[in-house]
Amino acid sequence: MTTASLKQTTDTQAENGYNFAYLDEQTKRMIRRCLLKAVAVPGYQVPFGGREMPLPYGWGTGGMQVTATVIGENDVLKVIDQGADDTTNAVSIRRFFARTAGVATTESTPEASVIQTRHRIPETPLTRGQILVYQVPIPEPLRFIEPRETETRKMHALQEYGVMHVKLYEDIARFGHIATTYAYPVKVNGHYVMDPSPIPKFDNPKMHGSPALQLFGAGREKRIYAIPPFTRVESLDFEDHPFEIQGWDQTCEFCGSDHSFLDEVVTDDEGGRIFICSDTDYCNQRLNTGASMEVV
Amino acid sequence: MTTNKESRPSVTPPLSLAGLCAGFDDPVQQSQQVFRRALTALSEPGTLQTVPVSDTPTGINTASYQLCLALLDAETPLWIAPPLRTDALVSALRFHCGCRIVDTPGLAEFALTLPDFDGDLTRFAQGSHEYPDRSTTLIVQVESLESAGDWTLSGPGIEGVRKVRIAGLDPRWPGMLADNRRRFPCGVDLLFTAGTGLMGLPRTTRVEV
Ligand SMILES: [Zn+2]
Repeated sequence: MTTASLKQTTDTQAENGYNFAYLDEQTKRMIRRCLLKAVAVPGYQVPFGGREMPLPYGWGTGGMQVTATVIGENDVLKVIDQGADDTTNAVSIRRFFARTAGVATTESTPEASVIQTRHRIPETPLTRGQILVYQVPIPEPLRFIEPRETETRKMHALQEYGVMHVKLYEDIARFGHIATTYAYPVKVNGHYVMDPSPIPKFDNPKMHGSPALQLFGAGREKRIYAIPPFTRVESLDFEDHPFEIQGWDQTCEFCGSDHSFLDEVVTDDEGGRIFICSDTDYCNQRLNTGASMEVV
Repeated sequence: MTTNKESRPSVTPPLSLAGLCAGFDDPVQQSQQVFRRALTALSEPGTLQTVPVSDTPTGINTASYQLCLALLDAETPLWIAPPLRTDALVSALRFHCGCRIVDTPGLAEFALTLPDFDGDLTRFAQGSHEYPDRSTTLIVQVESLESAGDWTLSGPGIEGVRKVRIAGLDPRWPGMLADNRRRFPCGVDLLFTAGTGLMGLPRTTRVEV
C-alpha cells in the first residue's frame, strides 16, 4: 500500500467515525436551545456548556460550534478571515465542514446560506435567509473595566453603561476624536451593549437593520449572542462627537472601488505600497463585472 | 455519540413499546431542519414556518411533536398541560427524548400547552435580570396560523410591521403578551403551532390588536 492510499483509508475511517459537522447531537441540541434564547434577547450573552472542538482557540472555536450547530446538508458555506476566502484558516475551516458535514462551499457572498467570519462583514449586502456567524475572542464589552462576571451581569441588567462612554470620551480628550477603530461597541435594540467582535468600525453600520441573521460565538468564554434580522444596532457615540467610519483617500488598486474597506499592502523593499479591497470576493466580482462589460 | 438510553432518568414507570409513536427517521438531519425553522420563527416573528408531515401521537399536532423531538432531552424539564398529557405522548417523549416531565410550570424549560391554561404567563419561568435566558419556551397549540390578519407585529426580526392571525386564543392573550414584553429582558418566548405550521413570538415582539 502506498503512503497516499494509506492516508486516504485513514481519512475515510475518520470520516465515518465523525458526527455530522463533528459535534455530537446532545451538544448541538444544547447550543440550539441557547441560540433560540439568544435571538429572543438580542445582544444578551447566553452561556453554554458542552464539549470542546478539537481545535486551538485561535481558530475560532466559538464560531465553529455555532456553524456546526446551525448547518445542514442543504446549506452552502462561505468562510472568510479578514475578508479573504483563501487564507489558511478560512480554507481549513471550509474543508473541515465540507468533510464532516458534506456541505457545499463557496467563495461567493450571494451564493452562501451560512457565512462564518473573522474580523469582517462582507461588502456585498446580505439578504434575508442568510446567516452570518462571527468568531468572537472576547464577548464581554465590559470586561476591561470589570473582571467579575457577577458584576458585568448586573451592569448589563441595570444598563449601567456609563463606563463605556467614559472609555470612548478618554479617547476624545487624548486624541481629539474616538480612537477605537476595531471591536467598537454597539447597543442592540436599545438595551444591551455588545461587542461586535474585532471587525473594523467601518462594518458597524452593516449590522443595523441587516436582513440576515447574525450569530456570535465565543469559544473560550462559552458565550453565544445574536442580532435578529431588521434590528436596531447603534454604535455608541456623543452628540458633539458622532460615530464616524474610516475612509480612504485611495481607491482599490485592482477594482477601483472607492467605497470598500481597504488593506494597505507593501509591494517592494523601497516602501512602495498599494491599497486593495480586504473583501476578496467583492473585489473579484467587481473585476469580473468590469471585464464582462468591456467584452460587451 | 451519547444515546438517549444513557441520559434517561433512572426511575421511570414501565414503558410500553406497543403502539409507541415513531420519532424521526433520520434524527440528525431532521432535528437540524426543525431547529432551523424554530430559529427562523423566533428571529423573524410572525413568519409562517412549516415542518413535514409525520406520525404524531394523538392529541398533539405535528409541529409541536417535531419541536419536542428536535429540542428536548434529559437536560430539559417539560411541563405538559393536563389536557395534552396523554400516555401516548408521555411514552413517546420519554422514549425518544428522555426528557423529564415536571408538574410545576415554573420549573419547566419547555412547556407544551393549549392557549386556555390556568393562570397567566407568569406561571412559567421568567428568567432573571442577570440570566434572562433561563425562562420557559412555550409551545402553544392553536387552531390555525395565518401570515395575514388582524394582529400587527413589530420589533426585532420584523421590517416595519407584519400582520398575522393566530386563531383560537382567548381574549386574555393580547394583554398577557403586552405584559410579557414589558418584563424584558425577562419573559417567556412562544412558539405557536397548528398542524404542520409554526410561528414564533419572542418576548421582544410588540402586538397591536
Ligand atoms: Zn477591489
